[in-house]
Amino acid sequence: MTDNLLRAPAEVKYAEELDWLESVDDGPKPFSWRLSPKMVRLFILGSERADGLDREISQKWFGDRAFVERSVVTLASDRGLLLIGDPGTGKSWLAELLSAAICRNSTLVVQGTAGTTEDQIKYSWNVAQVIAQGQSREAMIPSPIMTAMENGVIGRFEELTRSTSDVQDALISILSEKYVSIPELDGADGENTVFAKPGFSLIATANSRDRGVNDLSSALKRRFNFVRVPVVTNKRSEAEIVRFRTAELLRRHRIEVEVPPTLLDILLQSFADLRASAANAASDDERLESALSTAEQIGVLEDAVLHSQFFGEKELGAHTLASSLVGSLARRTPEDLAILNKFWHGVVEPRSEGEQGGPWRDFLDGGREAIATLS
Amino acid sequence: MAGPVAGPAGGLGPLRERLRAAAEEFAGPDDALPEILSGMVEDVDRALAEELEIFPVCHHSPASALAMARRLAEKRPRVIYLELPEDLAPLLEELRNCRLPVALQAFATELDGFPADWAPLSVVAPLTEASAEYQAIAYALDTPDVELVLVDRSADHVLQWREREDAPDADPAADGEGRESEEAAGLHGDAFGVGVGRLRPGFAELEAHLLHHGKVRHWSEWWDQYVEQPLAGADYRTYRQAMVMIGSLFRRLRPERGARLAVDEDRERYMWTRIREHLASSGTDPATALHVCGAFHAASRVEQFGLASEAEPFPIPERTGTAWRYGLIPSSHSAIEAQFGLAPGAVSLAAATWSRTLTAERLTPFRLAGQRTGRKKPKAAKRAAAPPAGGAGEAGGDRLTPFLDRPPVPGALDEDELRGWCVDLVRLARRNGYLASTADAIAVFETSVLLAGLRGRARPTPYDFEDAAVTCIEKDTVPGKRDVRRLCGMLLGGDRIGTVGYDALPPLARDVLDRLEPLGLNLTARTQQRALLDLANRPELRPCSDLLWMLRRLLGDVVRPVMGDRALGGRAIQESWDLALGREQRALVQLGYEGVTVEQVLEQRLRRAVREPDATAATALKAVEEALLYLGPGRLVDDLGSRAVALLAAERTVDQAPLVLRRIRRLLAYYRTTEAGPPHWAETFVTTGYAHYCTLLPTAFTDEEVGARQVAAMLGFLFGLEGFALALGCDRAQLELAVRQCHPVEPDRTALLWAAEHRLDLLPLPALRERCAELLANPLVVRAFPRYVSGFVQALEPVPSLAPFVVEQLSGAFGRLPDAVLLPWLPRLIMTLRREAAELLPVLVREAGRTFPGALPALDALVPPWEAPPATAPARATPVAGPAGGLLAAHPAACEAWTAVLDLPVEWARAAPSAGPAGALVAAHPATAEALAGVLAG
Repeated sequence: MTDNLLRAPAEVKYAEELDWLESVDDGPKPFSWRLSPKMVRLFILGSERADGLDREISQKWFGDRAFVERSVVTLASDRGLLLIGDPGTGKSWLAELLSAAICRNSTLVVQGTAGTTEDQIKYSWNVAQVIAQGQSREAMIPSPIMTAMENGVIGRFEELTRSTSDVQDALISILSEKYVSIPELDGADGENTVFAKPGFSLIATANSRDRGVNDLSSALKRRFNFVRVPVVTNKRSEAEIVRFRTAELLRRHRIEVEVPPTLLDILLQSFADLRASAANAASDDERLESALSTAEQIGVLEDAVLHSQFFGEKELGAHTLASSLVGSLARRTPEDLAILNKFWHGVVEPRSEGEQGGPWRDFLDGGREAIATLS
Repeated sequence: MAGPVAGPAGGLGPLRERLRAAAEEFAGPDDALPEILSGMVEDVDRALAEELEIFPVCHHSPASALAMARRLAEKRPRVIYLELPEDLAPLLEELRNCRLPVALQAFATELDGFPADWAPLSVVAPLTEASAEYQAIAYALDTPDVELVLVDRSADHVLQWREREDAPDADPAADGEGRESEEAAGLHGDAFGVGVGRLRPGFAELEAHLLHHGKVRHWSEWWDQYVEQPLAGADYRTYRQAMVMIGSLFRRLRPERGARLAVDEDRERYMWTRIREHLASSGTDPATALHVCGAFHAASRVEQFGLASEAEPFPIPERTGTAWRYGLIPSSHSAIEAQFGLAPGAVSLAAATWSRTLTAERLTPFRLAGQRTGRKKPKAAKRAAAPPAGGAGEAGGDRLTPFLDRPPVPGALDEDELRGWCVDLVRLARRNGYLASTADAIAVFETSVLLAGLRGRARPTPYDFEDAAVTCIEKDTVPGKRDVRRLCGMLLGGDRIGTVGYDALPPLARDVLDRLEPLGLNLTARTQQRALLDLANRPELRPCSDLLWMLRRLLGDVVRPVMGDRALGGRAIQESWDLALGREQRALVQLGYEGVTVEQVLEQRLRRAVREPDATAATALKAVEEALLYLGPGRLVDDLGSRAVALLAAERTVDQAPLVLRRIRRLLAYYRTTEAGPPHWAETFVTTGYAHYCTLLPTAFTDEEVGARQVAAMLGFLFGLEGFALALGCDRAQLELAVRQCHPVEPDRTALLWAAEHRLDLLPLPALRERCAELLANPLVVRAFPRYVSGFVQALEPVPSLAPFVVEQLSGAFGRLPDAVLLPWLPRLIMTLRREAAELLPVLVREAGRTFPGALPALDALVPPWEAPPATAPARATPVAGPAGGLLAAHPAACEAWTAVLDLPVEWARAAPSAGPAGALVAAHPATAEALAGVLAG
């Protein structure tokens, strides 16, 4: 099945691994969970020799073990889980993995936008059917959240803080009373209420850069446990993430490319330098608009690989990587370009000098050309 | 009394074989693992078989403290050898007067044998109540006929061996996570920490491995879970075997040639040598003694280990000549955590565990008589520490196998306690601005239990509780000053800061507290105290004010004046102070190492300041000023003043001339107001300075390294104090000659010289003005004109009467200099004036204000004084009226004879005719007047 999909959801992609884990799982499972909390953690963080399993489970999310544990435990409790962090820190991926491991369904997602309405959280109507047959459960279109309630699985709400406050507050009753009333229907058969089944919970994600746009109400805040996902700054973990995710993305394009370790180093080092400079910047004008997250790095690398695959010599080079980096990060003219120009001349140039500077020299040239083209 | 508990070595044989077999199966017979594992068992055998009973401890471990309390109660040893620097022993008695945690401190400022840049040296050994060493100390000091012998290397050796050791193992993780408070964590300053039983994996990978597989985040947490809790209720034999085994494990799993290991081994040799010396000299029966040392040292393999060893005693190196001073300083849990790289809150948690265990087991620990305690006494403390069931019996060999066989038994955290924590935390969170409710308490409880389950623990640990609390209560922002993690720390014990009691303070500190008593403040409180001194109405507070000013000088911001000032000759009538003597007890204690009273310390410091190799006349004058200010006139001032004279005479540079001038002026101004007038040294200083600066003046004018500011200050000294110097016998000719010898090249110096010549009446003002006009008129030198003006501005210091002239020249410069010269010069002028001659600017501005009009319209009509036409010649003097004038007019012969002698023209003034219309009328028609005169004459 995965072959026919551009991007298979986690439960499809790792179906075989999940089946196996379910078969060996003898731990206590809360509600209708398919895996016990320990196995959920193991599925996400990967196995070790000490776990004593017959097969290896790969690591799928890279970060502190405590975050995963706190997230899993929150889902087993009465509250919803809100993953909050900078863009590109892997919040949505963690949410998807959690849903896939717990209930084998990570697709019950509502995407929060400025245009999201309460209908999309609760239910809406098939107007033609209502006109023809009147209001009934058959004419009702349940939202993904309501479907999750009915099935006792995990529902997801992406970018919660992008939707307006009144829409957000529709979640309050869902999270406290665990049912949705449908006043349009007759209450005789109990049809006017949809009760959540055991196992239902909600994973929301919020972008910490959006703070202040649509702040959560206190009532909603207290129905969520917040888990803050930090930007990965550990170089080793970051290299792992970039390698893992890029390989996965390229597999989608049926491209098998080995990223040379030196280029990966250059990429990570450049991002680390740019982050340090952003941290020391005095104003927003001296800071790149990009959050410089791990996801951005993956984007840059993927872009570079695709470019060299289709327009280059099929081999990733520092030159292409530099153009891709400039192209991805230069969003505002002239602020971002000025910062990149400064970075290229103040940091990359010294690095390219001397005996160690081999690939950095190509990187320097590529970046200069790209900046010149965009300027 | 029980004898040594060491069992026969054979008891551990099966375990050794089991471990060896397991190791060979996993790693192969040629691997190092079998040796390490079986070596561990051998170490345990060896340590336990030692004739002198070895008690292995880990620092700040409640399990160790508990086992120690029990063992002491059971064995009642007569001699205790403790792993603490031997030179700290005299301090231990003073612990009675303190509230723990405090630190024993060795401190040195005057170094001999160490690099001078290491000063000041400070070595601290912090003590908490929940530690085995404190139990041993309390038992030994309060039990008659028990001797406590400290056997570890002295503080001096700690520093001597410092270079051989690796960098201290400060833990970056410990700094990263919100430390309780920086202030409390910094209580030890930059001291070297020594502690009994520091135990930590020898290299980073091992620690990372243990943390990873223990599913914990910090070493303290691992230790708590895998060692501390299982050993809390263990019997003595299990405790000893397990501790030695862990010590041995860490000893064997460390870099083979680590410098640190070499130092540790030397320490062990040191300790065993000291122990043997003591046993031999006192004739103590080893069976009645106890050696308390870190678990790491219990598994030692040095040749001097054990009483049966026949190795030569370790040659103990000589101490350096450094004079060490000893005292107690306050410490805190967070300071200890920062010093030893423990997880934030680890020591607080240990303290909480200790008091909980005491209550639960209804034990009374040893406590020094008279000691103040930081917490309420446990109500249930009814019985003395006694061994748990099955205690330290003689029988039974291998206790390690059961200990290793079973997984760690979870701690005794019961549901009630966890519930209590949840409720209290929510209350605390509400007080700190969180919108937390009972629902949160329930959620924290539930999450704690779930997290513990997920982490494979039957019951939540305090660390699980903390994680759960953060998950459930922490939202996107922290509403107050403290976040949830810190609130948890407060709840689970909180930071505790010790205080050194009055009696344990050095004499100086006690003296300070006594003398400040009239203020009526609690000076030992940790909060800042505000003192209000109404000196006009309560003159008895004047000594307090004097003392506070001295403390201000010596301790800086520990005492801070909010209102009131002290300057030479001036005294405030009201003062207000912020005092932080309780919080900054360490600073006061360290001051106490320097002397017995504050006055003595200040005197020493002042005397030292003027004897330093780099002391100058300026520093000596500063010392004089401070001595006058804080200690009053007296012999010290005279001594310092004489030193200032000697220093001035010996100086070959004039770099500090501005400072010297300013200070001596201030001092002379003060002395003029006193009844006695300037003292002898001040007179000598002025005469010496006059001669000194006269001598140096010609070279200073030409020396490129001497700035105009310095030359101006020299001239200022010479002209400003001229009257005083001449009165004391100096000769003005010396100055005139010196000025004539000056031939500066630089424009600013030249301007200064002209000013000096003007002051000496060698150059009148019109001539000076003419020279400047020539400069401005000459296109070749006009570019240098600004520098002349700068020189004139500097000359305001020695020749203040030149101010109108300087304004004139500045005005001329602005008016006539081309922009290309003027514009770059202006900012430089302002910067230079601000930096070097800030006090001259007001003079200049005032003068300019006098010269130029205040309003814009008046500016157009302005004719500056120097451009105004010379005032018309004064009207001829009218003949002097009165009898004298009449006499002269009547008898002109005498005057005319004199003028003939003097060869002057003779010209008598005639009375001018009256001007105005009346006069004209009388002149035109004299007849009336003449008729009238005739009538009158007639």
